[in-house]
Amino acid sequence: MASGRTDSISAPQLTPGPAQTAGEDRPAVWAAGLAKSYGSTVALAGLDLHVAAGETVALLGPNGAGKTTTIGLLVGLLTPGGGQVQVYGQSPSQAVADGLVGAMLQDAGLMPGVRVGELLAMVRGLYPGPLPLDELADIAGLGPLLGRRADRLSGGQAQRVRFAAAIAGDPLLLVLDEPTAAMDVQARRNFWEQIHAFAGRGRTELFATHYLHEADDAADRVIVIAGGRKIADGTPAAIKANFGDRQVRFTLRHGSPALLAALDGVRAVDQDGARVTLHSGDPDATVSSLVRSELRWSGLEVGGPDLETSFLRLLAGQS
Amino acid sequence: MTGFLALEMRRSLRDARYLIIAVAMPIGLYLLFTGLFGAHGQRAQGLPQPVELMIAMIAYGAMWAVFSATGPRIAHERTIGWTRQLRVTPLSPAAALSGKLLTALAAALPAMALVALTAVVSHHVHLSATQWLALFAAMWAGVVPLALLGLAIGYLAGDEIAFPLTMALYFALGALGGLWIPLSVMPHVMQGLAQSLPSNGVAELGWRIAGGQAPVPKAVLVLTVWLLGSAAAALLAYRRRGTRSAH
Repeated sequence: MASGRTDSISAPQLTPGPAQTAGEDRPAVWAAGLAKSYGSTVALAGLDLHVAAGETVALLGPNGAGKTTTIGLLVGLLTPGGGQVQVYGQSPSQAVADGLVGAMLQDAGLMPGVRVGELLAMVRGLYPGPLPLDELADIAGLGPLLGRRADRLSGGQAQRVRFAAAIAGDPLLLVLDEPTAAMDVQARRNFWEQIHAFAGRGRTELFATHYLHEADDAADRVIVIAGGRKIADGTPAAIKANFGDRQVRFTLRHGSPALLAALDGVRAVDQDGARVTLHSGDPDATVSSLVRSELRWSGLEVGGPDLETSFLRLLAGQS
Repeated sequence: MTGFLALEMRRSLRDARYLIIAVAMPIGLYLLFTGLFGAHGQRAQGLPQPVELMIAMIAYGAMWAVFSATGPRIAHERTIGWTRQLRVTPLSPAAALSGKLLTALAAALPAMALVALTAVVSHHVHLSATQWLALFAAMWAGVVPLALLGLAIGYLAGDEIAFPLTMALYFALGALGGLWIPLSVMPHVMQGLAQSLPSNGVAELGWRIAGGQAPVPKAVLVLTVWLLGSAAAALLAYRRRGTRSAH
């Protein structure tokens, strides 16, 4: 689906560069030891983040992982409780003021009482080098929406207009917080096509999601956070291998449960009476070896990746 | 900034609450009151009835114009997240705040001018050009404290209560400030209260100018105190709510 986008991924730079690095090498996002608490609740507990200019990076994590807090800090809506963050070598507020950043926030709305075209024209006027209005309408698929009142749109339409508002200034860095949360499958697919149409122009993107497949489809690199910390950082393929465990479930009719762990691809075995759940990194291989084995079974199901389980396993492994 | 201001103003002029309450209602009340009380009698201010009522209704309309463009609208924008979205654009918070204030003041002008026009057309109210100019300038400046009060409400009150709250304040300031009933028919205690309200201060400036007198120092003092108080309230409210995210 990501036509026109290069799929060759350079090894992610995991060591933060010095903040002073100037010119082309200047990272789009650089954060070190970023921390934030709300009262006694720790939202971020020392996050390091490095996004090179031109990268598309997914911030993947379960609800409450600290994704929205991270994004709030990157766009200057929040101030860090500890650590440092820079966007193109500047403070986030300065980068926003300079028009380098566009953001689609989770609970942001549109100006009431005006038409979509008027709203976008106004937002464009706030940036030094905005996208032409026709190009903007084209990328975001607005068309007939331009003449509609911004406060009388359906959820999906409003989402498109919010996306258009985020890219109206042709920002170098586009930040998206769970942008597809309220979309159906078709809308989601269209949306990512629009994002890639924008990113294909050499822009940097950072998006938060709790869908592994979305991170896999859309990002060059995936940073996994949970409990306010970074727990993994790598290519989608590497992340999927670590976090993409799928469940192979069946009822064991006959045979020794001891054989289950030896099946191909199996990482963990759960048993609830005769009902068996295998956590597998390669469900095809697991099922093949199950068929070849002397085990008798029925009611086979293969479930999708279960991020929560993977996170828990990884977090448990770390502590 | 100019684009933001222009769109905010255009939007104000389409707002039904503004058009009905700030523009249509003072005109209707003006025609009603001049009809009820007779066009020729003189009221306590020593001004002809149509002139005195015109000034009261100019103050009344201007007051709702600045309230409607601030309190309920800002509270609504905070609730739906437009304030947050605007915060991640290059528009500075100071520009957004002053844009709101300027929009509110701009919204007051048509409301004021249309009452004056109604008075001129229906009752042939006649003032010198200097008087008209001074009257508009003084009364317009006089609603600045009310606009700031509206900003404070917008940043403090929730979407649910901002509209009824500004509405109640608007009626209270109108009734208690002597815009509906002349001060002279109020009990003595009420007169003292009325003279300490900004609504009365704004009208007092107009009445004095229309009567060919200099504004009373007391009205100017009252408005200055309200200006300082509401400016402080607006700044505190904005710093408390306007710059933070909803979380």
